[in-house]
Amino acid sequence: MQENGRKAVLAEGLVKRFTGREGDVEAVRGVDLEVETGEIFGFLGPNGAGKSTTVRMLTTLLSITSGRAEVMGTDVAGAPDEARRRIGVALQEAGLDPRQTGRELLVLHGRLFGLGPDQAAERAQELLALVELEEAADRVIKGYSGGMQRRLDLAAALVHEPQVLFLDEPTTGLDPASRLTIWDELRRINGHGTTVFLTTQYLEEADQLCDRIAIIDRGQIVRRGTPQELKADLWERRGGGDEPTLDDVFLDATGRTRERAAGEVQEVMA
Amino acid sequence: MTATITLGKRALREAVRQPDALFMTMFIPLFFLVVNTGQAAEIFPSESTDFLEGQGYGAFQLPITLLLAASFGMAALFLVEEIEGGYFDKLRAIPVPRYSIVLGRLVAEGAKGIVLSTVIVLLALPFGITIASGVFGFVLLVLLTALWGVVYAGFMQLIALKSRSAAAVNSGGLIFFPLLFLTPNFVPRDLLTEPMEVAATANPVTYLMEALRSLVLDDLDWGKILPGFGVVLALGVVMLVLNVRMIQHYD
Repeated sequence: MQENGRKAVLAEGLVKRFTGREGDVEAVRGVDLEVETGEIFGFLGPNGAGKSTTVRMLTTLLSITSGRAEVMGTDVAGAPDEARRRIGVALQEAGLDPRQTGRELLVLHGRLFGLGPDQAAERAQELLALVELEEAADRVIKGYSGGMQRRLDLAAALVHEPQVLFLDEPTTGLDPASRLTIWDELRRINGHGTTVFLTTQYLEEADQLCDRIAIIDRGQIVRRGTPQELKADLWERRGGGDEPTLDDVFLDATGRTRERAAGEVQEVMA
Repeated sequence: MTATITLGKRALREAVRQPDALFMTMFIPLFFLVVNTGQAAEIFPSESTDFLEGQGYGAFQLPITLLLAASFGMAALFLVEEIEGGYFDKLRAIPVPRYSIVLGRLVAEGAKGIVLSTVIVLLALPFGITIASGVFGFVLLVLLTALWGVVYAGFMQLIALKSRSAAAVNSGGLIFFPLLFLTPNFVPRDLLTEPMEVAATANPVTYLMEALRSLVLDDLDWGKILPGFGVVLALGVVMLVLNVRMIQHYD
């Protein structure tokens, strides 16, 4: 899986501190990560655990308070433009320009990544075919459904053939059919050798797609391993019984129980 | 520079696809031109009003019309929309100089300003307004108006980058907007009351307006034209430095 021993993503002691009127808040508290080249890595955690903040630091969108991060051997803080050439980014909420057509957006991204006009047009056409948006290519994005926007966002992140693709909750809010389409596309992209760093709140998604996962809670990594390893570890610690699911691993890692989680849901519903 | 132009073209396409915003940018200033001229033309007949230099009061009002149109740029609001929608981050994750993201929009504002001011002047010509400084003066008039549009949009973009809120951008517009009226916009500076004259003299927009007015009413009078360009260039440098600083440190 490794390419010349180089990690696709490496983070050491990553810290992010936000200073506000009510004092400092440490959103990420010393995160260490190693993502191997060519794998799909799942990054899980409850809301507000520090997932998106970590991804934003790794993708050069947020400054790092302390610690260091590398993408394909490139220091994210020291050589951000070099790091940006190696990564593709699709963040929470498909961030697209609603007044452009799908094709215009992809051509624009191609041009910004240094492709010539013909090359950019050709690449846009390839990507539109990849995400099955050829028919909608010349319509303005404002009229796309949520699933179509996600697929276009994914295509925009792939324009420059990145080595590492960061996806922050790419299927949140999508219907099951759109979610399955995204999963298929991720498997296909990963099959071409692209490393995928995926944050998700859907444990089934992580179980289906990810080679390895890490769980973050309150800004710190609390579990890491393959889904099978994590389930086996919990089963052993429980002393046997029913085979745990990834949901059980998640609840155990974040210090919750099913009863407490259900109670929280009831409180919200009330 | 290539990225700036590529992003500028995109911003222009965006403006063209929002025709209602372009219409309002034209309509409101032209509405004020008609209303102000209609209200004051009788008070200032061209035959007996020296400061009109033989033209009608509409010619005196044309500069404020141009400044208003140039100050209705949508760049900052589009930028906020992009920040809130997440596309701004998508652009920040691309290896282009970060300043090109804000400068692209300003290039588009400049191009838009040239077209809008040309159209407004052309619309004014059939109503007896002439550009006394000739064709070269017309070019300077359009250029100065467009440059002001860029500077104004740039300051609005600063508010957008700092606040990341459409409400703040709108409020910022309300703060800057009175500067356009703390000027000799109805009569020359020497006819203003003393407090207004002091305020207008301290207001840099006054020199811009006087430069534009000079281009409409006089032959090329560099003593009035150059201060106008000086104000726009000085404010432009400050605006550019602040924009670049802000985007480089945007977190």
